[in-house]
Amino acid sequence: MMDFFRRRKNKYISLVLLLCLIILLLAGCWDRTEVNDLAIILATGVDISKNKEIELSVQVFIPKPAEGGQQGGVSSGSTSSQTLVRSAEGVTIADAMSRLQEKLTRRIFWGQNEVLIIGEKLAKKGIGDQIDFWMGHTDPRERADVFVSMDSAKEVLESMPELERDAAKQLSKLVDSQIGVKVTVKDLSEMLTGDSSAAVIPWVAKMSPSNLEVNEGKNIPFIKGSAVLKGDKMVGRLSDKESRGILWPRNEMKSGIITISLKDEKGFVSLNLLRSHNQLIPKISNGNWSIMVKTDTDLEVIQNTTNLNLLNLKSSKKVKRMVVQEIEERERLTLSKARKKMNADIFGFAGAFHRDYPGTWKRKKNEWSEIFRKVDVTFDTKVNIRRTGLSNEKAKKGGGE
Amino acid sequence: MKWGGILGITALLMLIILYEWPKLKKNIRKMQVVFFTVITIGWVLAILLILFPNMPGPSQLIDFIFKPIGRYWEIS
Amino acid sequence: MIEKGKISSFQMALIMYAVVVATAILYIPFITAQQAKRDLWLSPLWAALSGFLIVLIITKLYKLYPKKTLVEYSELILGRTFGKIIGFIFLFFLLYDTAIAFREYGEFVESAFLHKTPIVVVTGGIALTCAFAVHGGIEVLGRSATVFLPIVLVLYVMIYLFLIPDLNVKNIFPIMEDGWIPSVKGSLAPHAWLSQFSLLSFLLPLLSDETKAMKWSILSVIVSVLTMVYINLGNIFLFGGIITNTQFPVFQAARYISIGSFFEHVESIVIAVWVLGGFVQLSAFFYMLVLGTSQWLKLPSYKPIILPFGFLIILFSIWSASSFQEMIHSMGTTTPFYFISIQLLIPMLLLCVAVFRKKLRQAK
Repeated sequence: MMDFFRRRKNKYISLVLLLCLIILLLAGCWDRTEVNDLAIILATGVDISKNKEIELSVQVFIPKPAEGGQQGGVSSGSTSSQTLVRSAEGVTIADAMSRLQEKLTRRIFWGQNEVLIIGEKLAKKGIGDQIDFWMGHTDPRERADVFVSMDSAKEVLESMPELERDAAKQLSKLVDSQIGVKVTVKDLSEMLTGDSSAAVIPWVAKMSPSNLEVNEGKNIPFIKGSAVLKGDKMVGRLSDKESRGILWPRNEMKSGIITISLKDEKGFVSLNLLRSHNQLIPKISNGNWSIMVKTDTDLEVIQNTTNLNLLNLKSSKKVKRMVVQEIEERERLTLSKARKKMNADIFGFAGAFHRDYPGTWKRKKNEWSEIFRKVDVTFDTKVNIRRTGLSNEKAKKGGGE
Repeated sequence: MKWGGILGITALLMLIILYEWPKLKKNIRKMQVVFFTVITIGWVLAILLILFPNMPGPSQLIDFIFKPIGRYWEIS
Repeated sequence: MIEKGKISSFQMALIMYAVVVATAILYIPFITAQQAKRDLWLSPLWAALSGFLIVLIITKLYKLYPKKTLVEYSELILGRTFGKIIGFIFLFFLLYDTAIAFREYGEFVESAFLHKTPIVVVTGGIALTCAFAVHGGIEVLGRSATVFLPIVLVLYVMIYLFLIPDLNVKNIFPIMEDGWIPSVKGSLAPHAWLSQFSLLSFLLPLLSDETKAMKWSILSVIVSVLTMVYINLGNIFLFGGIITNTQFPVFQAARYISIGSFFEHVESIVIAVWVLGGFVQLSAFFYMLVLGTSQWLKLPSYKPIILPFGFLIILFSIWSASSFQEMIHSMGTTTPFYFISIQLLIPMLLLCVAVFRKKLRQAK
């Protein structure tokens, strides 16, 4: 038995030494990341500073034990914020990033960054480089939502929402509700490099808080319409209503409520959007470029203050016609603004022409911005009213009937 | 740094030799010759790579041979 | 025979699938997109030709010289001296190919997670792990393939299923805008990857059910091609026009997954599972290299040379390219020709001479 061990001893010693080498390899000391060494970024803002440099602001999560329990449910609005905002300037965004790191004791961690806010001034100057950086860098996510803010982006980050714990959460929740446009870094990069090279980004404005005594001077960011980019520069803005108008042709309309009034009836009918499908059908004949915006949408009635009985086919038809008019009007409104004021193809007409007429597109690609103004746009909207609510009885019977 | 690398590699190869030797001792001579040849090639190559990290390698040869066809795949 | 273990045809198909697809899904979309743009999903289909052709040649050769690998029958076909030379050229290629595979593995792990870790540590770590598997012989490889690859395959499919809400099918239109040339040009890299089916030659003699070999190898080619098409389609649906500047689209796609704002940040899991596939691939390469070398030198066993060769592979993986850019560039231009000329032309040459010899013998 001893002999066996002696014979094998040499081998075992070297095996143990080799195994020691594995430990050296697997320790991974180089790229170790400990949670308590990280500054977790929740939102980022990019501005242009007074010195014409890029100003990068980040909202950093402050890890600390939750203290809500001890306060016995007293308004959580008064607890100090869980985040802090730091910013740094630099000639490029990467430069600013390294300056920012100097100001933070912990290593910046981009993995949780879900919001990217761009200040209006920078947006007007061009954001191509910033978006390229965001796509190319390995740490930040391509899924982060992009916004353009009316004030400097830093101000938005510093603001204190009432219901959500920080501005980042507030904004990403707002776009997730799918009422307005929702644009991620990837989408934006795609839109700007695409055929139409135009994009719409949600526009952030501020509103004053409901409880002025407690939150004095702190504004709440919310989304108000959208900013329109052409090339990589901001060229204009769309109001809330107008931004709704681009959602239809872009097939991004997922929820919303339409309220209409009828000509010969008092009161309103409100309809809830269930689902909607849109298509752009381009056509080129004899050098005439035309496009048909085809909409197929399902709605349900949620409120009816008129005296119409919507189970009646005739009145239901009337309502349908009105809804069609309403939708098309919104689309037309946005279209005319996009064409006349900004000349930005935010509907993706260019892509539709490219897909269906690749040959012609190739020849006329360079003239697109002139063609876009002249494209003949028609609408074909189909509306189905699926349900009319649970009850048709009127609580208030006007004595007349 | 360079000397450290050379020493480290030599130590690593010595370990491999130590580990394989008990089995190798009983093996045929040809096996031993092949084993030590490969180790030596590895050792020389490693030292060359440490001393001249930008030494042209097989990739440069491949590039040279297939350049005439590969040219059509260059992206301007 | 050096290897006494046996694997089934199914296991062989799985190993070959890993050899081709594990790194292909990372690098093919980017390299192909440079040429084929929107048509990148067509390129693997063209490349399927290479795959089928090479499988036919290798199985034909195997029928003429049963129980022999390429390194062994090249001597029988071309005579001792020429056979040895061809064997050496092929083995040197295999060493280079293995080294490139290790480098690809390392570069990916580096760019995705371990930015500062020296690449030698990453490749050295996996090389040591693979060395254990190779030491265990072909049966260990076959079993790890059967255990790991179904998981890996499911993962590949799942990535894009989770992304369905974000996929835009319209992105592939117009198909073949500039004719079929760009997609054929883009198929260069897929051709190179699929030509690796020539390595089948090392596995065929180890089969326990040779009759099914042909069926399973063809199936393996088909599934490999379909996987590439699927991945490329998923990428073009997700990324559209920016596909040409996303270096690791599969990784970026995995990062993009977000379902109901709780199922997100899953890329670490994706990489962890992908590494399983990479492990099978690298072990298979490693195994074929040491097996081929010991057959070429007529050694009684391949086990003693595993560690020295592992060391050599790591050296070559460093030597093969000075930077990531250089590697990607040469994989898009010259390296595929090296792959194709060695893996397609050498077996073809061998088959021609072998058939000619057989005819000559019969004539006598």
